[in-house]
Amino acid sequence: MNHPVKSLSAYLDGEIAAPERALLEAHLAGCASCRAERDRLSRALALIAELPPAPAPSETFEPRFYARLAAEKAKRRPFLERLRWRFLAPGLAGLAASAAVALLAVRHEAHRRSEEAFLAQHLDLFESYQAVASVDAVESPEDVEVVAHLDELGVRP
Amino acid sequence: MASDPDAALMVAFQGGDERAFRSLFEKYGRAMVSFCHHFVRDRSRAEELAQDVFLKLHCSADRYQPTARFRTFLYRIASNHCLNEVRRGEYGSRRALEAREGGEALSPTDPDSLPATTASPEETSVASALGRAVEHLLERLPEKQRLAFVMGRLEGLSYEEIAAVLGTTVPAVKSLVHRATVSAASALAPFMAGGEEVAR
Repeated sequence: MNHPVKSLSAYLDGEIAAPERALLEAHLAGCASCRAERDRLSRALALIAELPPAPAPSETFEPRFYARLAAEKAKRRPFLERLRWRFLAPGLAGLAASAAVALLAVRHEAHRRSEEAFLAQHLDLFESYQAVASVDAVESPEDVEVVAHLDELGVRP
Repeated sequence: MASDPDAALMVAFQGGDERAFRSLFEKYGRAMVSFCHHFVRDRSRAEELAQDVFLKLHCSADRYQPTARFRTFLYRIASNHCLNEVRRGEYGSRRALEAREGGEALSPTDPDSLPATTASPEETSVASALGRAVEHLLERLPEKQRLAFVMGRLEGLSYEEIAAVLGTTVPAVKSLVHRATVSAASALAPFMAGGEEVAR
Protein backbone atom coordinates (compact mmCIF):
# COMPACT_ATOMS: atom_id res chain seq x y z
CA MET A 1 0.00 0.00 0.00
CA ASN A 2 1.30 3.43 -0.95
CA HIS A 3 1.37 5.92 1.88
CA PRO A 4 0.79 9.40 0.49
CA VAL A 5 3.08 11.05 3.03
CA LYS A 6 4.61 13.34 0.41
CA SER A 7 1.25 15.00 -0.03
CA LEU A 8 0.71 15.65 3.68
CA SER A 9 2.29 19.12 3.74
CA ALA A 10 0.25 20.23 0.75
CA TYR A 11 -2.81 18.69 2.40
CA LEU A 12 -2.20 20.65 5.60
CA ASP A 13 -1.62 23.79 3.52
CA GLY A 14 -4.89 23.30 1.65
CA GLU A 15 -2.93 23.05 -1.57
CA ILE A 16 -4.39 19.88 -3.02
CA ALA A 17 -7.44 19.55 -5.22
CA ALA A 18 -10.71 18.14 -3.90
CA PRO A 19 -10.51 14.67 -5.52
CA GLU A 20 -6.98 14.05 -4.22
CA ARG A 21 -7.98 15.44 -0.86
CA ALA A 22 -10.88 12.99 -0.59
CA LEU A 23 -8.60 10.07 -1.43
CA LEU A 24 -6.03 11.19 1.09
CA GLU A 25 -8.59 11.64 3.85
CA ALA A 26 -9.94 8.18 3.13
CA HIS A 27 -6.41 6.82 3.49
CA LEU A 28 -5.79 8.72 6.70
CA ALA A 29 -8.95 7.29 8.21
CA GLY A 30 -7.48 3.82 7.92
CA CYS A 31 -3.74 4.42 8.36
CA ALA A 32 -2.37 5.13 11.83
CA SER A 33 1.21 5.81 10.68
CA CYS A 34 0.10 8.43 8.14
CA ARG A 35 -2.13 10.03 10.79
CA ALA A 36 0.85 10.16 13.14
CA GLU A 37 2.98 11.79 10.46
CA ARG A 38 0.21 14.24 9.68
CA ASP A 39 -0.04 15.15 13.37
CA ARG A 40 3.74 15.55 13.68
CA LEU A 41 3.86 17.90 10.71
CA SER A 42 0.81 19.72 11.98
CA ARG A 43 2.46 20.34 15.36
CA ALA A 44 5.56 21.64 13.61
CA LEU A 45 3.44 24.03 11.57
CA ALA A 46 1.70 25.20 14.74
CA LEU A 47 5.08 25.98 16.29
CA ILE A 48 6.22 27.83 13.18
CA ALA A 49 3.04 29.87 13.36
CA GLU A 50 4.05 30.92 16.88
CA LEU A 51 7.35 32.34 15.74
CA PRO A 52 7.72 36.00 16.53
CA PRO A 53 7.41 38.10 13.37
CA ALA A 54 10.50 39.58 11.81
CA PRO A 55 11.27 42.98 13.30
CA ALA A 56 9.51 45.92 11.72
CA PRO A 57 11.68 48.24 9.65
CA SER A 58 13.23 51.12 11.54
CA GLU A 59 11.88 54.65 11.12
CA THR A 60 14.85 55.55 8.97
CA PHE A 61 14.32 52.67 6.57
CA GLU A 62 12.26 54.68 4.10
CA PRO A 63 14.20 57.98 4.19
CA ARG A 64 17.48 56.09 3.91
CA PHE A 65 16.15 54.24 0.90
CA TYR A 66 15.12 57.42 -0.89
CA ALA A 67 18.48 58.97 -0.08
CA ARG A 68 20.18 55.94 -1.61
CA LEU A 69 17.87 56.12 -4.63
CA ALA A 70 18.66 59.81 -5.13
CA ALA A 71 22.39 59.10 -4.89
CA GLU A 72 22.01 56.23 -7.31
CA LYS A 73 20.14 58.43 -9.80
CA ALA A 74 22.77 61.17 -9.49
CA LYS A 75 25.50 58.62 -10.10
CA ARG A 76 23.70 57.27 -13.14
CA ARG A 77 23.06 60.71 -14.70
CA PRO A 78 26.61 62.08 -14.76
CA PHE A 79 27.80 58.75 -16.06
CA LEU A 80 25.45 58.99 -19.02
CA GLU A 81 26.35 62.61 -19.53
CA ARG A 82 30.02 61.81 -19.33
CA LEU A 83 29.48 59.01 -21.78
CA ARG A 84 27.58 61.34 -24.11
CA TRP A 85 30.20 64.08 -23.97
CA ARG A 86 33.02 61.63 -24.33
CA PHE A 87 31.73 60.61 -27.73
CA LEU A 88 30.07 63.83 -28.81
CA ALA A 89 32.61 66.43 -27.69
CA PRO A 90 35.39 65.66 -30.22
CA GLY A 91 32.86 65.64 -33.04
CA LEU A 92 31.25 68.85 -31.85
CA ALA A 93 34.64 70.55 -31.47
CA GLY A 94 35.62 69.52 -34.99
CA LEU A 95 32.28 70.70 -36.32
CA ALA A 96 32.64 74.06 -34.57
CA ALA A 97 36.16 74.53 -35.88
CA SER A 98 35.07 73.70 -39.43
CA ALA A 99 32.14 76.10 -39.15
CA ALA A 100 34.42 78.88 -37.90
CA VAL A 101 36.89 78.37 -40.74
CA ALA A 102 34.08 78.28 -43.30
CA LEU A 103 32.57 81.46 -41.87
CA LEU A 104 35.89 83.29 -41.98
CA ALA A 105 36.46 82.13 -45.54
CA VAL A 106 33.01 83.30 -46.61
CA ARG A 107 33.45 86.65 -44.90
CA HIS A 108 36.92 87.09 -46.42
CA GLU A 109 35.62 86.22 -49.86
CA ALA A 110 32.66 88.56 -49.49
CA HIS A 111 34.97 91.35 -48.34
CA ARG A 112 37.34 90.77 -51.22
CA ARG A 113 34.48 90.78 -53.72
CA SER A 114 33.01 93.99 -52.33
CA GLU A 115 36.40 95.71 -52.64
CA GLU A 116 36.76 94.56 -56.23
CA ALA A 117 33.27 95.73 -57.04
CA PHE A 118 34.04 99.13 -55.52
CA LEU A 119 37.24 99.42 -57.56
CA ALA A 120 35.42 98.43 -60.73
CA GLN A 121 32.68 101.00 -60.15
CA HIS A 122 35.04 103.84 -59.29
CA LEU A 123 38.02 103.10 -61.47
CA ASP A 124 37.98 106.63 -62.89
CA LEU A 125 38.67 108.07 -59.47
CA PHE A 126 41.89 106.18 -59.26
CA GLU A 127 43.20 107.92 -62.36
CA SER A 128 44.11 110.83 -60.15
CA TYR A 129 46.66 110.06 -57.47
CA GLN A 130 45.45 113.03 -55.44
CA ALA A 131 41.90 111.78 -55.46
CA VAL A 132 43.07 108.36 -54.42
CA ALA A 133 45.24 109.73 -51.69
CA SER A 134 42.43 111.94 -50.36
CA VAL A 135 40.21 108.97 -49.58
CA ASP A 136 43.00 107.12 -47.85
CA ALA A 137 42.80 104.39 -50.45
CA VAL A 138 46.58 104.11 -50.64
CA GLU A 139 47.74 102.15 -47.67
CA SER A 140 50.75 100.22 -48.93
CA PRO A 141 53.53 100.43 -51.51
CA GLU A 142 51.63 97.98 -53.66
CA ASP A 143 48.69 100.39 -53.75
CA VAL A 144 50.99 103.13 -54.99
CA GLU A 145 52.29 100.83 -57.66
CA VAL A 146 48.74 100.03 -58.79
CA VAL A 147 47.76 103.69 -58.91
CA ALA A 148 50.91 104.58 -60.82
CA HIS A 149 49.92 102.19 -63.55
CA LEU A 150 46.20 102.82 -63.60
CA ASP A 151 46.37 104.22 -67.09
CA GLU A 152 47.71 100.95 -68.32
CA LEU A 153 44.61 99.07 -67.22
CA GLY A 154 42.45 98.10 -70.15
CA VAL A 155 39.20 98.42 -68.29
CA ARG A 156 38.95 102.16 -68.37
CA PRO A 157 35.79 103.46 -70.08
CA MET B 1 -2.24 41.43 -15.75
CA ALA B 2 -5.51 43.28 -15.36
CA SER B 3 -6.45 41.70 -12.00
CA ASP B 4 -3.17 42.65 -10.36
CA PRO B 5 -3.24 46.29 -9.18
CA ASP B 6 0.46 46.09 -8.36
CA ALA B 7 1.18 45.17 -11.96
CA ALA B 8 -0.75 48.27 -12.99
CA LEU B 9 1.39 50.35 -10.63
CA MET B 10 4.52 48.82 -12.08
CA VAL B 11 3.37 49.60 -15.60
CA ALA B 12 2.67 53.18 -14.51
CA PHE B 13 6.16 53.36 -13.09
CA GLN B 14 7.57 52.03 -16.35
CA GLY B 15 5.83 54.99 -17.93
CA GLY B 16 7.69 57.35 -15.61
CA ASP B 17 5.25 57.65 -12.71
CA GLU B 18 7.50 57.77 -9.64
CA ARG B 19 4.47 57.94 -7.35
CA ALA B 20 3.53 54.44 -8.50
CA PHE B 21 6.96 53.24 -7.45
CA ARG B 22 6.48 54.89 -4.05
CA SER B 23 3.19 53.06 -3.63
CA LEU B 24 4.89 49.75 -4.31
CA PHE B 25 7.66 50.58 -1.88
CA GLU B 26 5.14 51.46 0.81
CA LYS B 27 3.20 48.27 0.21
CA TYR B 28 6.11 45.85 0.05
CA GLY B 29 8.89 47.54 2.00
CA ARG B 30 8.10 45.81 5.26
CA ALA B 31 7.54 42.42 3.60
CA MET B 32 10.92 42.70 1.91
CA VAL B 33 12.68 43.50 5.20
CA SER B 34 10.97 40.49 6.76
CA PHE B 35 11.91 38.23 3.85
CA CYS B 36 15.54 39.34 3.88
CA HIS B 37 15.66 38.99 7.67
CA HIS B 38 15.10 35.23 7.30
CA PHE B 39 18.42 35.04 5.51
CA VAL B 40 20.65 37.35 7.52
CA ARG B 41 18.91 37.54 10.95
CA ASP B 42 20.03 41.11 11.41
CA ARG B 43 17.58 43.98 11.09
CA SER B 44 20.04 46.56 9.89
CA ARG B 45 21.46 44.24 7.22
CA ALA B 46 17.97 43.05 6.29
CA GLU B 47 16.96 46.67 5.71
CA GLU B 48 19.98 47.24 3.49
CA LEU B 49 19.18 44.12 1.48
CA ALA B 50 15.53 45.15 1.14
CA GLN B 51 16.68 48.57 -0.07
CA ASP B 52 18.97 46.85 -2.57
CA VAL B 53 15.98 44.90 -3.84
CA PHE B 54 14.00 48.10 -4.45
CA LEU B 55 16.99 49.77 -6.08
CA LYS B 56 17.25 46.78 -8.41
CA LEU B 57 13.52 47.03 -9.04
CA HIS B 58 13.90 50.71 -9.88
CA CYS B 59 16.79 50.02 -12.26
CA SER B 60 15.32 46.96 -13.94
CA ALA B 61 11.75 48.17 -14.32
CA ASP B 62 12.04 47.76 -18.09
CA ARG B 63 12.46 44.01 -17.64
CA TYR B 64 9.08 43.64 -15.99
CA GLN B 65 6.44 42.03 -18.18
CA PRO B 66 2.89 42.92 -17.12
CA THR B 67 1.85 39.31 -17.79
CA ALA B 68 3.69 38.31 -14.61
CA ARG B 69 2.37 39.00 -11.14
CA PHE B 70 4.27 41.87 -9.60
CA ARG B 71 4.71 40.07 -6.27
CA THR B 72 6.44 37.11 -7.86
CA PHE B 73 8.68 39.46 -9.87
CA LEU B 74 9.68 41.25 -6.68
CA TYR B 75 10.29 38.04 -4.72
CA ARG B 76 12.40 36.69 -7.53
CA ILE B 77 14.68 39.71 -7.32
CA ALA B 78 14.76 39.37 -3.53
CA SER B 79 15.42 35.61 -3.64
CA ASN B 80 18.38 35.99 -5.96
CA HIS B 81 19.76 38.85 -3.93
CA CYS B 82 19.45 37.06 -0.59
CA LEU B 83 20.93 33.84 -1.93
CA ASN B 84 23.89 35.76 -3.30
CA GLU B 85 24.29 37.35 0.10
CA VAL B 86 24.27 34.08 2.03
CA ARG B 87 26.55 32.43 -0.53
CA ARG B 88 29.22 34.84 0.57
CA GLY B 89 29.26 32.72 3.72
CA GLU B 90 29.59 35.64 6.09
CA TYR B 91 26.55 34.76 8.15
CA GLY B 92 27.27 31.12 8.95
CA SER B 93 30.82 31.89 9.99
CA ARG B 94 29.77 34.89 12.05
CA ARG B 95 27.22 32.84 13.93
CA ALA B 96 29.75 30.09 14.53
CA LEU B 97 32.13 32.68 15.93
CA GLU B 98 29.42 34.05 18.21
CA ALA B 99 28.72 30.54 19.44
CA ARG B 100 32.40 29.87 20.08
CA GLU B 101 32.76 33.15 21.93
CA GLY B 102 29.81 32.16 24.05
CA GLY B 103 31.42 28.79 24.69
CA GLU B 104 28.35 26.98 23.43
CA ALA B 105 27.93 24.24 20.90
CA LEU B 106 25.75 24.73 17.85
CA SER B 107 23.04 22.17 17.61
CA PRO B 108 19.87 23.21 15.81
CA THR B 109 17.88 20.39 17.32
CA ASP B 110 18.95 21.01 20.88
CA PRO B 111 17.49 24.24 22.27
CA ASP B 112 19.52 23.76 25.46
CA SER B 113 22.61 24.40 23.43
CA LEU B 114 21.40 27.83 22.33
CA PRO B 115 22.67 30.98 24.02
CA ALA B 116 20.64 31.67 27.11
CA THR B 117 18.40 34.71 27.29
CA THR B 118 18.45 34.95 31.06
CA ALA B 119 16.87 38.36 31.31
CA SER B 120 13.80 37.43 29.28
CA PRO B 121 10.54 36.01 30.60
CA GLU B 122 10.11 32.28 30.12
CA GLU B 123 7.80 32.53 27.14
CA THR B 124 10.05 34.96 25.39
CA SER B 125 12.94 32.65 26.05
CA VAL B 126 11.14 29.70 24.48
CA ALA B 127 10.02 31.79 21.52
CA SER B 128 13.56 33.01 21.13
CA ALA B 129 14.95 29.47 21.28
CA LEU B 130 12.32 28.38 18.77
CA GLY B 131 13.34 31.24 16.50
CA ARG B 132 16.96 30.19 16.73
CA ALA B 133 16.09 26.58 16.02
CA VAL B 134 14.29 27.67 12.84
CA GLU B 135 17.20 29.93 11.99
CA HIS B 136 19.63 27.02 12.21
CA LEU B 137 17.24 24.86 10.24
CA LEU B 138 17.14 27.44 7.45
CA GLU B 139 20.91 27.54 7.32
CA ARG B 140 21.06 23.81 6.78
CA LEU B 141 18.34 23.53 4.16
CA PRO B 142 19.32 23.35 0.49
CA GLU B 143 18.78 26.70 -1.25
CA LYS B 144 15.54 25.91 -3.05
CA GLN B 145 14.00 24.24 -0.02
CA ARG B 146 15.00 27.21 2.06
CA LEU B 147 13.41 29.65 -0.38
CA ALA B 148 10.25 27.55 -0.65
CA PHE B 149 10.03 27.23 3.13
CA VAL B 150 10.56 30.94 3.77
CA MET B 151 8.09 32.04 1.11
CA GLY B 152 5.48 29.41 1.88
CA ARG B 153 5.73 28.95 5.62
CA LEU B 154 6.97 32.33 6.81
CA GLU B 155 5.78 34.83 4.20
CA GLY B 156 2.50 33.29 3.16
CA LEU B 157 3.01 32.88 -0.58
CA SER B 158 0.94 30.22 -2.32
CA TYR B 159 2.54 27.21 -3.99
CA GLU B 160 1.68 28.73 -7.35
CA GLU B 161 3.44 31.97 -6.48
CA ILE B 162 6.49 30.12 -5.18
CA ALA B 163 6.60 28.14 -8.42
CA ALA B 164 6.55 31.38 -10.40
CA VAL B 165 9.32 32.88 -8.25
CA LEU B 166 11.53 29.81 -8.53
CA GLY B 167 10.69 29.22 -12.17
CA THR B 168 9.46 25.70 -11.50
CA THR B 169 6.23 23.72 -11.32
CA VAL B 170 3.67 23.50 -8.53
CA PRO B 171 4.35 19.73 -8.00
CA ALA B 172 8.05 20.58 -7.62
CA VAL B 173 7.15 23.22 -5.03
CA LYS B 174 4.98 20.68 -3.19
CA SER B 175 7.98 18.43 -2.94
CA LEU B 176 10.32 21.24 -1.83
CA VAL B 177 7.91 22.48 0.83
CA HIS B 178 7.22 18.97 2.09
CA ARG B 179 10.89 18.05 2.45
CA ALA B 180 11.58 21.32 4.25
CA THR B 181 8.59 20.77 6.53
CA VAL B 182 9.76 17.26 7.42
CA SER B 183 13.17 18.75 8.31
CA ALA B 184 11.42 21.41 10.37
CA ALA B 185 9.43 18.78 12.25
CA SER B 186 12.65 17.02 13.17
CA ALA B 187 14.41 20.23 14.14
CA LEU B 188 11.50 21.37 16.27
CA ALA B 189 10.85 18.02 17.92
CA PRO B 190 12.27 19.21 21.26
CA PHE B 191 9.63 21.94 21.31
CA MET B 192 6.72 19.60 20.62
CA ALA B 193 4.58 17.79 23.18
CA GLY B 194 6.94 16.46 25.82
CA GLY B 195 9.83 18.28 24.18
CA GLU B 196 8.86 21.71 25.43
CA GLU B 197 10.17 20.80 28.86
CA VAL B 198 13.51 20.13 27.26
CA ALA B 199 13.35 23.49 25.54
CA ARG B 200 12.79 25.22 28.83
